[in-house]
Amino acid sequence: MDEEIVSEKQAEESHRQDSANLLIFILLLTLTILTIWLFKHRRARFLHETGLAMIYGLLVGLVLRYGIHVPSDVNNVTLSCEVQSSPTTLLVNVSGKFYEYTLKGEISSHELNNVQDNEMLRKVTFDPEVFFNILLPPIIFYAGYSLKRRHFFRNLGSILAYAFLGTAISCFVIGSIMYGCVTLMKVTGQLAGDFYFTDCLLFGAIVSATDPVTVLAIFHELQVDVELYALLFGESVLNDAVAIVLSSSIVAYQPAGDNSHTFDVTAMFKSIGIFLGIFSGSFAMGAATGVVTALVTKFTKLREFQLLETGLFFLMSWSTFLLAEAWGFTGVVAVLFCGITQAHYTYNNLSTESQHRTKQLFELLNFLAENFIFSYMGLTLFTFQNHVFNPTFVVGAFIAIFLGRAANIYPLSLLLNLGRRSKIGSNFQHMMMFAGLRGAMAFALAIRDTATYARQMMFSTTLLIVFFTVWVFGGGTTAMLSCLHIRVGVDSDQEHLGVPENERRTTKAESAWLFRIWYNFDHNYLKPLLTHSGPPLTTTLPACCGPIARCLTSPQAYENQEQLKDDDSDLILNDGDISLTYGDSTVNTESATSSAPRRFMGNSSEDALDRELAFGDHELVIRGTRLVLPMDDSEPPLNLLDNTRHGPA
Amino acid sequence: MERQQRFMSEKDEYQFQHQGAVELLVFNFLLILTILTIWLFKNHRFRFLHETGGAMVYGLIMGLILRYATAPTDIESGTVYDCGKLSFSPSTLLVNITDQVYEYKYKREISQHNINSHQGNAILEKMTFDPEIFFNVLLPPIIFHAGYSLKKRHFFQNLGSILTYAFLGTAISCIVIGLITYGFVKAMIYAGQLKNGDFHFTDCLFFGSLMSATDPVTVLAIFHELHVDPDLYTLLFGESVLNDAVAIVLTYSISIYSPKENPNAFDAAAFFQSVGNFLGIFAGSFAMGSAYAVITALLTKFTKLCEFPMLETGLFFLLSWSAFLSAEAAGLTGIVAVLFCGVTQAHYTYNNLSSDSKMRTKQLFEFMNFLAENVIFCYMGLALFTFQNHIFNALFILGAFLAIFVARACNIYPLSFLLNLGRKQKIPWNFQHMMMFSGLRGAIAFALAIRNTESQPKQMMFTTTLLLVFFTVWVFGGGTTPMLTWLQIRVGVDLDENLKEEPSSHQGANNLDKGTTKADSAQLFRMWYGFDHKYLKPILTHSGPPLTTTLPEWCGPISRLLTSPQAYGEQLKEDDAECIVNQDELAMNYQEQAPSPCSPPARLGLDQKASPQAPSKENIYEGDLGLGGYELKLEQTPGQSQLN
Repeated sequence: MDEEIVSEKQAEESHRQDSANLLIFILLLTLTILTIWLFKHRRARFLHETGLAMIYGLLVGLVLRYGIHVPSDVNNVTLSCEVQSSPTTLLVNVSGKFYEYTLKGEISSHELNNVQDNEMLRKVTFDPEVFFNILLPPIIFYAGYSLKRRHFFRNLGSILAYAFLGTAISCFVIGSIMYGCVTLMKVTGQLAGDFYFTDCLLFGAIVSATDPVTVLAIFHELQVDVELYALLFGESVLNDAVAIVLSSSIVAYQPAGDNSHTFDVTAMFKSIGIFLGIFSGSFAMGAATGVVTALVTKFTKLREFQLLETGLFFLMSWSTFLLAEAWGFTGVVAVLFCGITQAHYTYNNLSTESQHRTKQLFELLNFLAENFIFSYMGLTLFTFQNHVFNPTFVVGAFIAIFLGRAANIYPLSLLLNLGRRSKIGSNFQHMMMFAGLRGAMAFALAIRDTATYARQMMFSTTLLIVFFTVWVFGGGTTAMLSCLHIRVGVDSDQEHLGVPENERRTTKAESAWLFRIWYNFDHNYLKPLLTHSGPPLTTTLPACCGPIARCLTSPQAYENQEQLKDDDSDLILNDGDISLTYGDSTVNTESATSSAPRRFMGNSSEDALDRELAFGDHELVIRGTRLVLPMDDSEPPLNLLDNTRHGPA
Repeated sequence: MERQQRFMSEKDEYQFQHQGAVELLVFNFLLILTILTIWLFKNHRFRFLHETGGAMVYGLIMGLILRYATAPTDIESGTVYDCGKLSFSPSTLLVNITDQVYEYKYKREISQHNINSHQGNAILEKMTFDPEIFFNVLLPPIIFHAGYSLKKRHFFQNLGSILTYAFLGTAISCIVIGLITYGFVKAMIYAGQLKNGDFHFTDCLFFGSLMSATDPVTVLAIFHELHVDPDLYTLLFGESVLNDAVAIVLTYSISIYSPKENPNAFDAAAFFQSVGNFLGIFAGSFAMGSAYAVITALLTKFTKLCEFPMLETGLFFLLSWSAFLSAEAAGLTGIVAVLFCGVTQAHYTYNNLSSDSKMRTKQLFEFMNFLAENVIFCYMGLALFTFQNHIFNALFILGAFLAIFVARACNIYPLSFLLNLGRKQKIPWNFQHMMMFSGLRGAIAFALAIRNTESQPKQMMFTTTLLLVFFTVWVFGGGTTPMLTWLQIRVGVDLDENLKEEPSSHQGANNLDKGTTKADSAQLFRMWYGFDHKYLKPILTHSGPPLTTTLPEWCGPISRLLTSPQAYGEQLKEDDAECIVNQDELAMNYQEQAPSPCSPPARLGLDQKASPQAPSKENIYEGDLGLGGYELKLEQTPGQSQLN
């Protein structure tokens, strides 16, 4: 009886400890929020919230490392048991009492020696899988969900080229340079463990994931040229996905034969096959759940109950992740494509309230998760116990990422400019080169496995790269923009409204043939099938499918057919997004009548602008009111607006 | 070669992780199904099954499938290893298995009794959550949401009655249930179904306290939909929210009651220790929760955070979560702290938020509440089949059913009688019957019961609790609508009409009417209202009269510092001050519009924007947005005229 109470006490004590640790993080985030408010209030742009979160993390890490020392109780006991496998739960009989233990993970013998002696540091270290299963999905989903911008589809070709080809190039360039560096280290005898070419390539894949969240936030605030914004944002989102899959296929590279680190053609092709398989599988999974959600929201009247609708949306999106993980694909990639599909189709079926709710929900989750990761990064510089800092390697890595980025941007831009009508200017190229920040994804990939010496060195180096790029490049964005003479304060509305008819035609011709086909298909078949907008299927499908078409077309589609549809179908070719908005407003889920007053009051309700109703704003703008807001927002467009409004007060 | 092996083990881990994904997927799938079914029901206006009931049904079906359709794969994890050299249980264990070292984490102690039943179906084992998840993840948002939406007009008016029901009522109910079950336990021992000495009186009291947590979410949802009399609604809702807190702390105090010698005997010292513990934890949690809310209120008041709604919402969320974590870290009860944090946030911080953040926080917590609630009810259904140590004892179950009815009656009727002596506006018989009827058990009772299922009595309690929850949710929840008609309780009471009449009557009938309502609330509460209105509100929020007028002369500088600039520019304040005494909530709503910290035009815009939609939006009524809905409806009539 007494003993039971003792063990209960122990459990309670550890629970308290856990709560206290989590509390540290929460308070860190709170502090970050307050400081960020101050910065935003004073319009200090040199430090983004993520950079700040890292600084606070560093400070707390310092305190934890050197200020508090909690000696660990004797809890690391090595038992030798005659078991063949490692069961997930273990029952241990300790002097007549039974205790249940759950498997936490495997420990390399290397790690066994430097048993962490500080209990506190041990406690604040998370299982790296937490990042992949809890923190990254909302970030990535949100990125996908807010990707639906006007210029994204126009630049799809370039973005895909940068994301796929560029990441591959960057991975190989960094890998090769690092291999040179490692050989040099071997010669000078600085290397204390194995470091193979595959490890170098893995490092290349890890640091190829760019995450210019800092730069993008500043772009958004300053209303930098939308084209540049779309290119950077699209590239960074897609290249995360590529980098994840790439790194997992490099890990899976297993040459046959004895020497496991030589080049083996079959193994390489197998790796490539894995890459393609995982990527397309995740893509299909994400798109499939997106489509299912769209269909469910279209054919049920769920929009009468916003809470249910939001709940369904959230659960379906989460299911994507779980489904992909359960199937052996990459959940994070699936979630990205799910987000894009949801934004493209489902978003149009949701009630306006649910549109806000989902946007705001994922925005909040994204914000919290991102800042959490960055403050953890700061913390981990001190609390992670197996850092391997090697100056040669670090310097080599810095050189490598610049060269890798350069080898990515400049040659590809040259190639793309051959085909593009509106060229990517050289100042844009410099800016993209400059915006090669590393962030959450690189960190999460690096921390996933820190078992071997090589991995530990990679992790420490990645951490330093992230710090450096976020603080230096992130802080220097504003200066760089003025130095490169990139247009800021571009009012995307005016630009758009000014585009004359004949220019539209030319833009149409510009987009590649393949994408035109896709747009047509999307507009004529997918949109009507999955959403309430677009022309009714009865008109687009051949006559023989009449009954099916009638059954699949929503009643709303007929009503608004005559209105602006004809004119729309033109638009969709060059501006996928704009036509969507038309669709949105006319086919507004609440009966067509309600859309008129809504539009009308748009003028007076300034506060609609305050939100980031991505398309709400856009719509307002098209209606011809002169409003000074970025039309392709979704990130807080409020910053500037609010500052101008409240700043003086 | 080494690499190969590592790869293998990575594969293993992968498999392990996938398993986790599959389980979560099952829950996701169940919830999606629930949502779709509920939509169908709502669409056709079936009111006999609430979403939580639906979630339980689906959980049951899934549990049935898992239990009988999946092959009971044997797992070796049941094997016991003898480690004689260990004399204690370390929190981490490194096991050397054929030259690979694995790290094992301490999970729990298992009593001898459970070892055999422990080996079984791996899938069932996997589908069982750690019970602490309920307390650390799922319950906090539910409770916080309850506190956050407690801010209803009639709540403060009925505060005295609610507190009586919650504290006194729960204590009565706990003791009555304890006594009755103890009687049944004695009978079981007599009948030979139970070994003597297993089931102590403290166990019975424990059962009584966990069974005292009522959770009439089903009933309340129907009330909300049908617009039942707001007084009844508030009484029920307030009671159920507060009595959760009381039951949790009570359960904890009973579980630590450990007399020195004979565990069955009464020990005055231990008893008083428990009582002291109860008071200490309750007061501590209350203080912790309100302290965090006060901090949030001050932060939102003195920074212009409302320019960035997302940051504001983030801050709100994080500080509310901190309240939970701090309370847990300090050894108090996080859930109780979160409840009071929610109440205080709603009372003060809510007024400082920008209108956008108000919506966002409401919606966020509503959403989290919805998900968490359905997950719990779903899990309940599942647990009936997947939990492996059920002990069904017909006599005990019968006793428990009897006990909860008797105890509910002992709670409601005598207390209502006493309260009616003091209340001006009596609680009529049909209300009392309805409250008696709404004694549903739900998430809290379940979570408390599943927390500890080590010993045989605890397992029996868990099983019984599960059955009680099923029965009450389905039968009582489903029978609410007929019961309402049978008891002839007013439905379709339009809150706004009430409201619109009242202000006019205020102006018409003057102070006479006001005076009587004022006299209604007890002396103590009047003092609190006065204090709250004059000092706390102005310090913590943008509303209320400026501190410079309410504080004595000599604190002039401090009061000037603390008063927000908005407070000066108020005209309706005088009028409000009267209102706030009897109609706290009403006054607040009026205030909210004027001193909204963000630019007034923006606010106006929102109202206008919302109004044309309001008529078409029935769902405002459905949603639990206590205030949101209320506010919208206020604007409804002008909006309509504008539309026409």
